Amino acid sequence: MISKNALQRLEQKHPWIGIVFFLDLIGGLALTMKYMFSRTVTMQYPDKEKWMPYPRYRGHHVLRRDENGENKCVACELCSKICPTNCITVVPHENEQGKRRPLVYEVNLARCLFCGLCEDACPEEAIALGSTFEYAAYRSQDLQVGCDELLNAKGKTEQGGCVVSAQFFPDDNARVEAKEKAGYHWWRNIHRQKDKIESSVQGKDR
Amino acid sequence: MELIIAAIVILIKVIVIAVILFIVPIPLTWMERKIAGHIQQRLGPMRVGWHGLLQPVADGLKLLTKEDIIPDQADRLLFKMAPLVSLVPPFAVFVAIPFGESVSVMGYEISLYISDMNVGLLYILAVAGLEIYGVIFGGWASNSKYALLGSLRTCAQLISYEIPMGFSVIGVIMLSHSMSLLDIVNAQQDIWFIVYQPLGFFIFFVAGLAEAQRIPFDLAEAEGDLGAGFHTEYSGMRFSFFMLSEYLVMLTISILCVLLFFGGWHGVLIPLPAPIWFALKVGLFIYIFMWFRFTFPRYRYDQLMNIGWKVLLPLSLFNILLTGIFIF
Ligand code: SF4
Ligand code: SF4
Repeated sequence: MISKNALQRLEQKHPWIGIVFFLDLIGGLALTMKYMFSRTVTMQYPDKEKWMPYPRYRGHHVLRRDENGENKCVACELCSKICPTNCITVVPHENEQGKRRPLVYEVNLARCLFCGLCEDACPEEAIALGSTFEYAAYRSQDLQVGCDELLNAKGKTEQGGCVVSAQFFPDDNARVEAKEKAGYHWWRNIHRQKDKIESSVQGKDR
Repeated sequence: MELIIAAIVILIKVIVIAVILFIVPIPLTWMERKIAGHIQQRLGPMRVGWHGLLQPVADGLKLLTKEDIIPDQADRLLFKMAPLVSLVPPFAVFVAIPFGESVSVMGYEISLYISDMNVGLLYILAVAGLEIYGVIFGGWASNSKYALLGSLRTCAQLISYEIPMGFSVIGVIMLSHSMSLLDIVNAQQDIWFIVYQPLGFFIFFVAGLAEAQRIPFDLAEAEGDLGAGFHTEYSGMRFSFFMLSEYLVMLTISILCVLLFFGGWHGVLIPLPAPIWFALKVGLFIYIFMWFRFTFPRYRYDQLMNIGWKVLLPLSLFNILLTGIFIF
């Protein structure tokens, strides 16, 4: 360390030394060499890994069920009212038990901007933005999702923010399936002070 | 009989070297992309084959199946000729390059070079200089401003760096009293010429970077201002010929660095077979080329010319003078 400082001082005093020996270029080369052998930050999605979103992540909509396994939504239409892009269609009706339930509940995911206002507006906590983010479709009609699909969609993650190992199925119904529940913290490879970051994230997000 | 065997041996050697030269860019592109990736903390190609090893093959297939576009207003003959013209000299150079001394197979002595010319070095510099025609033709025939500007820049660059390059090897020639690469390497049996010629090596290396059009001297294909330089209009297989020749030039420069300054196939300390030592050293130089590429930004055009004419040329002349005094 001492010798390095002495060298730096010498160079500051006589700038020509740096120019003659290309110290700036050598510094650059040393830096790239260091990076060459450092850990890569690539997340190998979709082949081997997949990111689990945080609980706060706003993805594909999901309709929650109550304790009887019934749709929680009471078709009050508040969500469709508040929606800035007008992409929720709710048609209420009365079911056999005389309860107000949606006859039609459709979300146009192609138009939705995932602001989460519907989730905030809902008095029954029925609609929510879940954790699914892989729902690309070939036709825009396919992004018009109905009640059944919404009831079966994946809800929010419990912890999230991690990279789990996954498997890629490149068939017609292409998908990436996570193979485990918990993985490594996705920030680990990017931020070197691993422990500090991890603890702070856990403190805030749980 | 003797004559026929000799002819057959030479033919086989030529074919083997040509095939190797066609194949060598495949691992080189893979290596380049891997090095690029890791320097930028990425992984590089990972999907085709083990760690993306087959990626260059996939890319080659893709290039083969691509539509071969010739621009409407292009000079069709020159446009078709240019890739070939730029591909031939890098191959022709390897006629004079020795890869080792000789091995005996079944009692028959086979030399690891096609021909040991007494003017080998001169031949290599001259033939390598011909590559510039491919660049000029390509840029001119495309009839596009970017291609033309790119090829003009390349010409100016290649011509101005060929001079210091030629001068920088004179020191080596003076030390070894020969232009034959075999003699030059054998003269370095005990002490590599890098010890006597650090300045010469530096000039040769920098000029070599410029000759191979690698960063920081890759003005010919400065993506930011020229599209892709002289091969902007090329696609498919014709484009890959340009790439092929670029990689071969890089290989040639690396080999020359090793032959002229780093003792060729003579090893130090660890006794390894000569070809392995040779390959290791060449590999190291190729790595350095790629390492440079992903470290440095590109020089501005006037800086490039300044370095060539105002720094490297006087330095190379000074080096000749120094070598003369040293020998005297
Ligand atoms: S997230 Fe926003 S845009 Fe999307 S459906 Fe809900 S309210 Fe509408
Ligand atoms: S999802 Fe909530 S806000 Fe929307 S209609 Fe149903 S209960 Fe009302």
